[in-house]
Amino acid sequence: MEDIREVAKKVGTALERAGAQKAQYTVTEKETHEFNVDGGEFSLFRTLFDHSLTITAYKENKKGSVAINSFADSALTQAAEDCIRSAGNGISDSAYDIAPRQENKRFCDGAYEPDIDLFFTRTKELMRDIREQYPKILMEQMIVSHDKVHSIYQNTNGTEFESCRGAYSISLMFSGHEGERSTSFFGSDIYTDRLDRPFIELGSLRKDLADVQAQLSTVPLTGKFEGTIVLTPASMKEFLYAIGRNFASDGVILEKTSIWLDKLGQKVADERITLSLRPGDPRIVCGERYTGDGFLSEDFDLIQNGVLKSFLLSLYVANKSGFAPAKNSSFAVVMEGGDTPYDELIKGIKRGLIVGRFSGGQPGINGEFSGVAKNSFLIEDGTVKGAVSETMINGNLAGLLNSLVAISKETVEDGSSVLPYAAFDGVVISGK
Amino acid sequence: MLEDFISGKRALFSEGVHTELRAQENRNRRISLVQGNLTGNQRTQSAGVCARVYQNGVYGFSSMAECTGQAAEAVLRAATQNAAFMDRHVGRGKGSLEPIPQREIPLNREMQDTQQKRYIEFAKEVDAYITQKYPGLSSRSVMALEDSMEKRICTSDGCSGHICSPRSYLYVFMNTETTSGVPIELFEVMGGAGIFGENFTDPALLYPKLDGLYEKLMKKREGVYAEAGLKTVVLGGILPGMLAHEAVGHTVEADLVLGGSVAGPALHKQVASGLVSMVDFAHTAFGKTAPLPVYLDDEGTPAQDAVLIKEGVLTGYMNSRESAQHFGMQPAGNARAFGFSDEPLIRMRNTAVLPGKDKLEDIIASVEDGYYLTDTNNGQADTTGEFMFGVCMGYEIKKGKLGRAILDTTISGVAFEMLKTVDMVSDTVVWASSGMCGKKQPMPVGMGGPALRCKVMIGGR
Repeated sequence: MEDIREVAKKVGTALERAGAQKAQYTVTEKETHEFNVDGGEFSLFRTLFDHSLTITAYKENKKGSVAINSFADSALTQAAEDCIRSAGNGISDSAYDIAPRQENKRFCDGAYEPDIDLFFTRTKELMRDIREQYPKILMEQMIVSHDKVHSIYQNTNGTEFESCRGAYSISLMFSGHEGERSTSFFGSDIYTDRLDRPFIELGSLRKDLADVQAQLSTVPLTGKFEGTIVLTPASMKEFLYAIGRNFASDGVILEKTSIWLDKLGQKVADERITLSLRPGDPRIVCGERYTGDGFLSEDFDLIQNGVLKSFLLSLYVANKSGFAPAKNSSFAVVMEGGDTPYDELIKGIKRGLIVGRFSGGQPGINGEFSGVAKNSFLIEDGTVKGAVSETMINGNLAGLLNSLVAISKETVEDGSSVLPYAAFDGVVISGK
Repeated sequence: MLEDFISGKRALFSEGVHTELRAQENRNRRISLVQGNLTGNQRTQSAGVCARVYQNGVYGFSSMAECTGQAAEAVLRAATQNAAFMDRHVGRGKGSLEPIPQREIPLNREMQDTQQKRYIEFAKEVDAYITQKYPGLSSRSVMALEDSMEKRICTSDGCSGHICSPRSYLYVFMNTETTSGVPIELFEVMGGAGIFGENFTDPALLYPKLDGLYEKLMKKREGVYAEAGLKTVVLGGILPGMLAHEAVGHTVEADLVLGGSVAGPALHKQVASGLVSMVDFAHTAFGKTAPLPVYLDDEGTPAQDAVLIKEGVLTGYMNSRESAQHFGMQPAGNARAFGFSDEPLIRMRNTAVLPGKDKLEDIIASVEDGYYLTDTNNGQADTTGEFMFGVCMGYEIKKGKLGRAILDTTISGVAFEMLKTVDMVSDTVVWASSGMCGKKQPMPVGMGGPALRCKVMIGGR
């Protein structure tokens, strides 16, 4: 295996020879160890040895991008030439750019070298814990893996970032079964760099398993009403992602279809909502250290006390639109807990749903959403009455942010986000 | 062309286990024009070799990003060791797989590359047509792409072969606002199997489709929200294909059956109206090449059609060699891997509801009060068969006649209940093949079906 610094050096030389005026490139080597469980039984052990090169280069304000996974000298030269040829066929645009020179840095994050024996032992322990403590749960699929990644980023402004990172990911898909009755499937994902605790204690796994088991019995819900929804941290992450994409991302700002286009510095949410992207937060495992454009990543607030503080823009769209680029390009989303204990939050709800998962169509660009509330529970007069099935919810993403009822004191840390439970009013809930 | 550096390694396969060795290259070419700005201009390529070994009910797998004989030997060693590790620690004592007669599947087509210039020039012409003819749009995007897989497969028992599967598409998005200022969007996908130059020779040939898209968008602009509740609908366009894939297809993938899907206890039972039959086609459907033909899977099984539902009765699953043995069925070539570093999983190929005898006009005319739903922008389903599809275009039906367009909505139901409500089936199948199915790995899939009259839940305010 070639040393990746040597590969990076060869790429830089090849790009210069090919005529690149600006360029950035990342050389990566990666090793993965992965165990799979299917239908409740161990099925597969994978080891992957991968490497890759991505190049973005500019010539006469035209841009080309290439990605390959061969480090042979001829392949590197061809990739550089291919990239410049693609750029040459492109459209000239002065908004294309890369970050100015940044301080060179080396980042070491997480558990770089895996402890495969302990990892396998923890995985077997998790299987045993689930079987013994949640006997009605069937593990449809579990994928646990460790990724060890070494990469070097360089650009023609002289910046170099070197990154060595390693982490374990635990991804479960399971459902409840009793006789011929079964529940919807549910997925839990956890990202960690430590093996010092049983996996079942991580994230909200215990609650997720207990909730799915409880969903084997459902209560009827008929008719339609406007009520309150409680988003769990997992379902809130889906909604927040849709909010970012619909109102603050490159595409909608470039197309000028975002309903937040003229809202920077203005109130777009309840003043109790502060929503941050914090890859540098110690609760985020192996968070982003530099952006896709070559800036050092910094934590920032998307919404601060209800006020829109930033968009989620790349340097290109920032240059096109006149707004600032986002200070990081991750989705390491953090919302701190509020002052209402979860049980109190539920007690305060007259009629509504706890939404564990949302299976919905892509929200319209106006923020309208519509879909099935999966793994969800009915609340009436402050009490959880039971799980529901075939129940739809309809509302508006922008409207949700302005109809906050309460934020729970408790938060869930899953290694890629820190989120509380939160209740929102004004959602149409339709039973069968 | 991917060179053959693997067939000479067969002598290194271990005795007493099943071994697969695969060399693969995936290519992706993509350009994106947003409001005339070239936001994407990418060429990606990844190639390597992998091995998978089956030993007593567990698998070992390894891959390496190199296309050399040395890499092939290394992954064979690692996969064999991994299988032995799993057998030692969680042995399932299942014995060996049923053998498949060995034969060679010949290369189905040559792969050719297309330079970025071709995609960009074509997209620019399409963009220019839209800008000139429809200046009132609030925004527009054009995306041209091609993806392909080339594989060489060599197995210890089963077929070996060399296969190549390119596909290419042009996506066009148009946006405008309703009369009350609500932004709305519609898109059209054109293309199919084959390289870009085969599918796209002249931009002008696409203009009638673009005109049709604009016309639909203008109708949607005047659209109304659908009324929520259980409604009689005509599922048209690609929606029946989406139903076949998402709501039924996934539940009858044998690995999900083993994971507790609703299809487990439903085998050989009536799960749909007698008008409904469903097949996962391998490479030929209704006398023509299927949208995304598959000739050989990655376990060395030659591809054949998998009959899933026959006249309303669930008759079979889609299988890997291992699951077929478990269920006492025949494998039909559904075990496919997306990239060189991916292991084969049970995947659909070209999954379709079979056509009936009704004319679409007659089906619409038969609906007193309901909806004709024509376009979808996404779909999801559960192993319980509960499904949800986003509907981005449709019309009211009042007294047998099409009425106003509707705004974005969602439909939902439980597949094996909803399919029992199907009482009319059109005689024409509509196919789509641009999608990527997501199940641990992405995978190009085809899906299709005729228009169906049925009852589903519609979401709405």
